[in-house]
Amino acid sequence: METERIFKSSDRRAKIIAWIVIVILFLIYYTIMAMIAPARKMEALKSEYCYKQNENNPVDERIFTDSTYLDLLHKKSFLQSRVTMAATDSIYLSIRLSDSTLNLEISGVTVHRAQIRRINISTILSENDNYIILSMLSSPLTISKNFSSIEKEPLMIKMAPKDTSEYVPDIIPDTADFEPVNYIMEMDNGIRLHIYQEDKLKPGDGLYRSLFDIYHSMRYAAKTFWRVITFRVPDYQPYIKLRIPRSDAKIIYRALPEKGQIALYF
Amino acid sequence: MDEKRIPDDGFLKGDVIRIVFNWLLIVIAAISLLAFLLYGIPALQEIPPTGRTIITNSDELKKDESYKKQITLIKRDIQRLTWRYNSYTSGLSYMVINTTDNLFYLYRNKKLIRQGHCSTGSFKMLKTEEGRSWVFKTPKGKFWIHGKTKNPSWRRPDWSFVEEGLPIPPQDHYSRWEYGVLGDYALSLGDGYLIHGTIYKRFLGMPVTHGCVRMNDDDLEAIFNTLNIGSKVFIF
Repeated sequence: METERIFKSSDRRAKIIAWIVIVILFLIYYTIMAMIAPARKMEALKSEYCYKQNENNPVDERIFTDSTYLDLLHKKSFLQSRVTMAATDSIYLSIRLSDSTLNLEISGVTVHRAQIRRINISTILSENDNYIILSMLSSPLTISKNFSSIEKEPLMIKMAPKDTSEYVPDIIPDTADFEPVNYIMEMDNGIRLHIYQEDKLKPGDGLYRSLFDIYHSMRYAAKTFWRVITFRVPDYQPYIKLRIPRSDAKIIYRALPEKGQIALYF
Repeated sequence: MDEKRIPDDGFLKGDVIRIVFNWLLIVIAAISLLAFLLYGIPALQEIPPTGRTIITNSDELKKDESYKKQITLIKRDIQRLTWRYNSYTSGLSYMVINTTDNLFYLYRNKKLIRQGHCSTGSFKMLKTEEGRSWVFKTPKGKFWIHGKTKNPSWRRPDWSFVEEGLPIPPQDHYSRWEYGVLGDYALSLGDGYLIHGTIYKRFLGMPVTHGCVRMNDDDLEAIFNTLNIGSKVFIF
């Protein structure tokens, strides 16, 4: 009886140790795969945006390590991006992380300006001395998907009355509005722009923001997990996380078209 | 008499504690694993890469003729792009309308000269049983003034009758015309959208219109006198 108990106990311990080893090995594999992802992304960007020598205008590639040149290239990229967007009649967003502002613009006219209260940006995007990143930013980023806590167009459906007896005149709309405003815009080149409301109008706003963040973190983690367990390197999505006043966040989200464009200067 | 074996009290307590402890360990491990996957992995991905650009600012390079040429070229590009970008914003008068907060801003020579409340589209979708539908929203983007009218009259579109449960009259029927409901002035933005006055002034600052932009009498007069045909109107 005593021997059987000891055997059962050691068997269980062995099983637990085996499971722990399996989990640790999986985590090591998972971490390695996930850490390869940013380097892969950078390689992909390099092959797309690296400098290609022009026979008519040869360039000494040491210039890409010169701060004066890179600074000018930075300005040029931002301007080029904005000129491209201004040529359309659409609404677009200029993000200037250097002076913490978000500008909503139409054809070169700034129609709304918002102050950024907090910035959190991926390491890869903070390299403002990297020729590849600066070249990538010379064309506008296009929104491919939106995930938001508010609707883009808050449509209300009203059925037409059959005759005048059914007609009820519209009442004054309820303009009291405390809905939390948090959203994520995914760009076509994989960059994610997270915009969260900074101010707390209700006690639950901070919690709602955290839940929104956790939900989307789980979504991205699930994507990574699926790729890793199918032996593929996950997609790395550099991010820009901004906190701005709620009213500005709402105006920007509602104003930008579904496939709106964004220029970035940092 | 039925004799039941009552378990040792000490043994029962110990067992329960062990089970609770085991489950607590499992829960803690699961939460830690989840936190690692959700936040640990993204944080590890943000460890700066080793292959960062090293800024050399070589003096030898700066003396090079090709370097000077490249700097001149890029400066010229910036100048050209700046000029091009600024050409989009002329000194002419223009108006900006914020449909989220129902506010307007009037500019002359790039300076704000007037601002106030207006009313824009209600975002209502009117549907009939026959399957017709209209969405009452103010379009967004860049527009310009197509025409200006004093003492405008309103030609009621089909939805105006449908909305009140009235039969739709023929296109040229007299009942389609209403006078005095659009205020003293109207400025056309094209596609039937107007900037006009209103008899419902208490609704200014609210999203209540069928897509047009309603203004206060004084603001409307100022806008009418400031904007010309061709003046730009930016709606967002």
